[in-house]
Order: sequence, then structure tokens, then C-alpha cells
Amino acid sequence: MPTDADLDRDVRVAFYTRLIESGTAPSTGDLAAALNVEPAAVFASFQRLGAARTLVLEPGDSARVRMANPFSCIPTPFAVTAAGRQWWGNCIWDSLGIAAFLGSDATIECTCGDCGQPMSVAIRDGQAHGSGVIQFGVPALHWWDDIVYT
Amino acid sequence: MLLFRDEGHATNWRTQHQVTEAGRMSLETGWRLARTWYTDKRGPNWRRSSLEDAEALFARLGLTGDFWRLRS
Repeated sequence: MPTDADLDRDVRVAFYTRLIESGTAPSTGDLAAALNVEPAAVFASFQRLGAARTLVLEPGDSARVRMANPFSCIPTPFAVTAAGRQWWGNCIWDSLGIAAFLGSDATIECTCGDCGQPMSVAIRDGQAHGSGVIQFGVPALHWWDDIVYT
Repeated sequence: MLLFRDEGHATNWRTQHQVTEAGRMSLETGWRLARTWYTDKRGPNWRRSSLEDAEALFARLGLTGDFWRLRS
């Protein structure tokens, strides 16, 4: 009999696999069908993965995933082109993380957080190319107080 | 975590948003952080970094001081 930990691992891997294959976040029903379990079991797994900060669930609808870091499941100001698709990063760290996660070259299009001027960062052959400085506005100890804001 | 054109723009944002504490890093350091944090997350054996692992990573990247502290 699979344990909750086994199911949570399988849900995590299946979630990311389908996200990468299709470019969109799978539903609880999609994952239930893929894993041959009941949707309620996937929903329960989402709650555990959310509590463990592995996934970030949609505020007000915990059957949906808002962030599967480094990916955002909704559009953001951080557009990442990599592995033949466009993705959305949650922030500049996660946008760089998409290139790392996919093991791919990538181009990140975003804007200066201050003046709004377009900025671009390229990842080529494992090296980052671009200019600018990354700034965090929330101390590390409080990142998860409101991860969507962070 | 935002990207700014330069230190001056980062300071402007901090002033305008009345942010009392901020942490900065270069693009290269951010890339090194992202690579370590996310490279293995799609694998079945991935485990979330422990506090100790995260603290060691931050230290290796020079992210030290109260802003980068992970436990109270």
C-alpha cells in the first residue's frame, strides 16, 4: 500500500512532467488519471505538498496550483523562453531557476523593478549573460509569510 | 525578488517602497543560487533543502548577515 509520502512524490513528479510536456499546469483530475488514483487523493496530496512548501496552492482554491517553483502557473512580469516554450517565473530567482530546472539555454524578459525599462538575461551554455542587480525586499526568515508577495 | 538596472535603481525602489531591509546580489550569484536550488527538483529523489543545507549554500555565495538568516 503506497504511503502518503509515496503519493506526494508521484504527484510532484507527475505535476512537473505534465507541466513541462504541455506547458500548462495539470488539474487534480489529470493527475488522478495519470496516477490511477482518485482525484480526492490528489487533492489531499496537494494540501500536504502545499504545507511542505513544495507547491504553492491558489489562494481561495486549493485544488489548483499557483506556483510550482520555479514555475508560475499564471502569467507574471517574468517571461522565460526555454526548451521551445514560454514559461512564467515567479521572480528573477525563479526565472533563472527555470533554466536550471530544464537544463536549457533560456532568455528571460522582464523590466527594471524601479523604472520599468525592458531588461533581458540570457543563459547560454551554463553561463548567465546580462546586466543588472538582483534585490530582495523581504528578509529570508519571512519569505514564506506571504510567498506570493515575496 | 526583482531585477534592477543598477544599484541606483535598486536604491530608488527601496526608498519609494519604504523597504527598510533589502538584500542584493549580482546576476551571476543569482544564477549560482538558482542552479543549486532547482536543478534536481524534477527528480523522484529530490528533497527540500534542510535549513543547514540552505544556510551552507547562502554562506558559500556570500549571502551572510541578518537579512539572510533562516531561523529566528
